[in-house]
Amino acid sequence: MCERELTMRQSLLESLLLIMAAIVLGVTYSFVTKQGFFAKTQSVQTAAPSNIEMISLATAKELFESKNAIFIDARHEFDYEAGHIRGAVNVALKKFDTHLTWLNRISKDKLLIVYCDGAECNSSIELAVKLMESGFTNVKVFFGGWQEWNTAKLPMEK
Amino acid sequence: MAFWESIPSGKEYEMKSLLSNTILILLVRIFLGGLFVVAGLDKITDSQAFANSILQYKVVGPTLAMCTATILPSLELLCGISLIIGLYPRGCTLLITIMLVGFTILVASALMRGLDISCGCFTQDPNVSKIGYKKILENCGLIVLSVWLLFVRDQGINLLKSFEKQPDKPIN
Repeated sequence: MCERELTMRQSLLESLLLIMAAIVLGVTYSFVTKQGFFAKTQSVQTAAPSNIEMISLATAKELFESKNAIFIDARHEFDYEAGHIRGAVNVALKKFDTHLTWLNRISKDKLLIVYCDGAECNSSIELAVKLMESGFTNVKVFFGGWQEWNTAKLPMEK
Repeated sequence: MAFWESIPSGKEYEMKSLLSNTILILLVRIFLGGLFVVAGLDKITDSQAFANSILQYKVVGPTLAMCTATILPSLELLCGISLIIGLYPRGCTLLITIMLVGFTILVASALMRGLDISCGCFTQDPNVSKIGYKKILENCGLIVLSVWLLFVRDQGINLLKSFEKQPDKPIN
């Protein structure tokens, strides 16, 4: 067997050992600390500050029909243009500061409903925090977001 | 080929000796290994946030993201430590190269899909370290270093070898 072949075998064997050690370490650590795979609650919802109210699809639909709320889409412009809740405005998290001018014209107690892609994204919560920091007092997060709204075939536009 | 043609020229020789310089190799190992230790430690302490970062790339579902968030930080940590101390140097360099290539492809695909997300590489703070072409360049630099380490014949200090029993000196 040539030297190169031996080195390759050795590299693969060592890699395999390291992967196995990492699996054992990772699983043990998460089991002991009750994090990761062994976490009691695996939803990103837990990361939301307690003063932000999470609303369900049914509540979001009710508020949409009452026309008393402004829906804010926290996703990237690209996703917003591909489809969004009818009447929703796009405030991409990264460009929050550029939207502050018109946001400040809205009454601070106006009901704002923030959403992003769905339960797998955090930007709705982050945007809600920023809005509250800017003085808005009535901010809710529609946690199911675009995915739930789209699946339920509720009013949308492109 | 004539005998004198196999002798490297002055500059070639200097380059070869620089690339196989044990001190330089050790410094690169400490740098690369240190980066992986820092990255692994940050993720291992908050695997929930890391799982969220993975989900933002929209490549895997919640279960696979959680599995990755449980195992990948440990792998980064182990590879980083191994590279620094010289334990299983070939294996950890190979894994580090594979991980770096994988991360770079992931960032590039996210950029191409127009995702505006945080990298989740060294910190899980969503407002820090957004993905961009700078991140790809950084990763490419790290890939060059890891590939170089992968092909270096002697990787310098190896703790395993230093623990091996040395042959007794012959008595004169």
